Amino acid sequence: MKRLLAALFITAICVIPTCLRAGDIKATAESFYRNGQYAQALSAFEQALKNAPNDPYLYYNIGNCYFKMGSKGLAVAYYYRAFKANPQNSDIRHNLSLALASGGDSLVPTGMPETLHRALFILSLTELKGLLCLAGWMACFFAGLWLLTHKAGKLTLVLGGIFVLLAGWFYLRHSLENEPLAVVASPVVELRSGPGKNFPASAAVQQGHLVRVLDSKDNWQEVIVRSEGLKGWIEQTALERI
Amino acid sequence: MKRLALFLSCVVLSTSLWAQVKLTATTDKTDLALDDELTLTVQVSGANGNIVMPQLPSLPAFNVYSREVSQSTINGKTTSIFKYTMLPRFVGKATIGAITFNYQGKTYQTQPMEIRIYRTAPVTTKGASAATVTTTNHPATSDTDLSQLPPLERELATRAYAHQGQPYFVVAAVSNKKPYVNEPITLTVRFYYSKAFYDAPYQNPTLSNLFMEEAGDAQGQQTVNGIIYRYEEKRYRLTGVSQGEATIGSASVSFRPGSSPLSVLDRFFGGAAVEPEQTVSSAPIKLQIRPLPTQGKPDSFYGAVGTGYAFAAKLDPTQTEAGEAVTLSATVQGPGNLKTTTDLQFPPIEGLTAYPAVPVSNYLPNSTSRSYKIFKTVLVPAASGTYTIPALHWSYFDPQTSTYKTLTSTPLSLTVAPSSKAASQFDFGHSENGSTGVQTIGQDIRYLISADPPAPSWLATLSNWGWLHGVVLAWLAICIFIASIGKKSAAKRQAYVQAKAHLKKATTYEHISDAISAYLLAKWKISTASLPLRSIVEALEKKGVKPQVRQQFSTLWEKLESARFAPAQADTQTRTQFSEQALALLKALEGTK
Repeated sequence: MKRLLAALFITAICVIPTCLRAGDIKATAESFYRNGQYAQALSAFEQALKNAPNDPYLYYNIGNCYFKMGSKGLAVAYYYRAFKANPQNSDIRHNLSLALASGGDSLVPTGMPETLHRALFILSLTELKGLLCLAGWMACFFAGLWLLTHKAGKLTLVLGGIFVLLAGWFYLRHSLENEPLAVVASPVVELRSGPGKNFPASAAVQQGHLVRVLDSKDNWQEVIVRSEGLKGWIEQTALERI
Repeated sequence: MKRLALFLSCVVLSTSLWAQVKLTATTDKTDLALDDELTLTVQVSGANGNIVMPQLPSLPAFNVYSREVSQSTINGKTTSIFKYTMLPRFVGKATIGAITFNYQGKTYQTQPMEIRIYRTAPVTTKGASAATVTTTNHPATSDTDLSQLPPLERELATRAYAHQGQPYFVVAAVSNKKPYVNEPITLTVRFYYSKAFYDAPYQNPTLSNLFMEEAGDAQGQQTVNGIIYRYEEKRYRLTGVSQGEATIGSASVSFRPGSSPLSVLDRFFGGAAVEPEQTVSSAPIKLQIRPLPTQGKPDSFYGAVGTGYAFAAKLDPTQTEAGEAVTLSATVQGPGNLKTTTDLQFPPIEGLTAYPAVPVSNYLPNSTSRSYKIFKTVLVPAASGTYTIPALHWSYFDPQTSTYKTLTSTPLSLTVAPSSKAASQFDFGHSENGSTGVQTIGQDIRYLISADPPAPSWLATLSNWGWLHGVVLAWLAICIFIASIGKKSAAKRQAYVQAKAHLKKATTYEHISDAISAYLLAKWKISTASLPLRSIVEALEKKGVKPQVRQQFSTLWEKLESARFAPAQADTQTRTQFSEQALALLKALEGTK
């Protein structure tokens, strides 16, 4: 018993200051942000992210700092990461949409109703996976029950149908979220016809544009600019992978 | 004889007609551009033997750079064609005078021809705006009316008197020798000539501390002490760059006096020698550029120097919606090139976001001395209401009075209605007049989220329960296994029940043996149809059927076979006994594990 208490005490000593410190960093960062010191706020938020990786709100806050500093490309990248982790949050959706709109892109694919897009992203991918698992488990349980008792056949069929629909939804979301996307982070980057500066430039792409990465050679990435449908090669240093 | 005399007279008449000289001159065009070329063709027909070249008149408006002579004789008639290729030198109307040809003591002349020379495009000077350079024909100036001329013209005419007696000379004069910095002045260079010349390239004067733009060409005539001079004039606009001394170097013209030069062929035909080239230059001019006074310089002074400026402001449109853009433009017109002045600074207007545009500047149409500059800014009102654009100020320095003067535009009013777009996008509720009462002013990202990261939902937690996959799959496998076993036992149970039912309904011995056969097939997959009795008993033995039961089966099966194939010996009582025995057999077989 004494050993257990000692272990709990030591854990508390280690964990509590870390929590307090993370809170302090966030408060400091917010203070910087409110005073318009976005670079300092960014530095503080990035430090906080080291302690809490994959925190969607920290991604969002870092995106805000980049947006205010004029780096809309990096802002889009961080907003996208926040959106992947927490697509239900309206603030994240709003800021991502706004940042994308400044580059001529749209969060909602062309032709898809806004409501449908919101419904598609009502759950995070992890939550959707959990729901899919639950439906699968229940379908299996009732299928077994039906095999043994020849009862609950209709319920088993309904659950099976739900499982199939959820599997389709999960597949769609998984495909969308694992699309090899990147965003133009440099103020302006030239889209060239080949992986090198000796190839002529066909277009100049401003920061904040989403691109789909197709191939990679040395330090060059073959991309398709989503909003314009242009295909070409961009230097890797000018892109931020999402 | 009469016939001979008639023949001779005809020969003489035809010879005299044949010997008639004909001189014609044509040009390939009567209208041409300054960078075009003109071909003058002079044709001499009927002149045989050694002939001299036709004499061209003075052609000050052209440079003759190519000559060709061709001669052909057909049936004893000689035709000489002289082709002159010429480049025009000045814009305007040029006259090719009468071309004369002397042959056997007689002089032949052509009619004068008029040629119009146009400029293809306005002349632009590097660093200056596109200006229209015009050519004018000045009225002839006589000795007596100099006093009536404007000062610059009088200065030039007076300088021409200093060269009286010289057949060629160049004079230059400026409108003001002590201009202020950026004050536009005019430089005029004139090439006077009283005799013919050709090949006369012109050399612009060199400048220091001055900015120069071409302002046009002119042609004219002046009588100096009874000698008629024609002149070619070039005008320039000059502005002083900085205070101090400025110099206008010599402008020069190199030319060859006399008529057009003759080629080797010309000399062969008896032409004159080519005159040596001569150069005439204007005297250099020194200017003193005066600085602009710093005292009294207003904030709205952007560098314009001169007189006669006009300034006005305009708003387009004067009524709009919130969030929609309107254009505020201010236009200034005046002497000189306003492009060199700095841009007007629009004052900030509360409630209106300003986006300044690049100003536009050029010379006024049909003017080489006055220009305009339009300053524009796009204004976007944030909210509805009435806005007042304050009066704009634009100052210039008047060199005549040596003072700064300020021009002021009238204040403008802008009426802004609520944005219809904003109302349709953001509907926060209905009001009586249909307006939502909320307007979109601008868009920005939302503020930071200071909350802790959201706790994983129970669904997210479920996704981590991977071990449950195994449990569920195991459950399903067990269920499938159990279900498959149950299915087999059920089939077997069903075999006994069905056989029992068949036995109860059996009316013949065949029915009884069929019921037993169906039972054996369903229970042990033993087919009695293709097997002899001994094999069936062996199969039952393999299935673990006891020997007594096997004996019971053999006895009953044999009796049934006999009854089936000798039905006469059997009766209803016997069949009922067989049924009971068969039922007992099935019970015994059912007891086998």
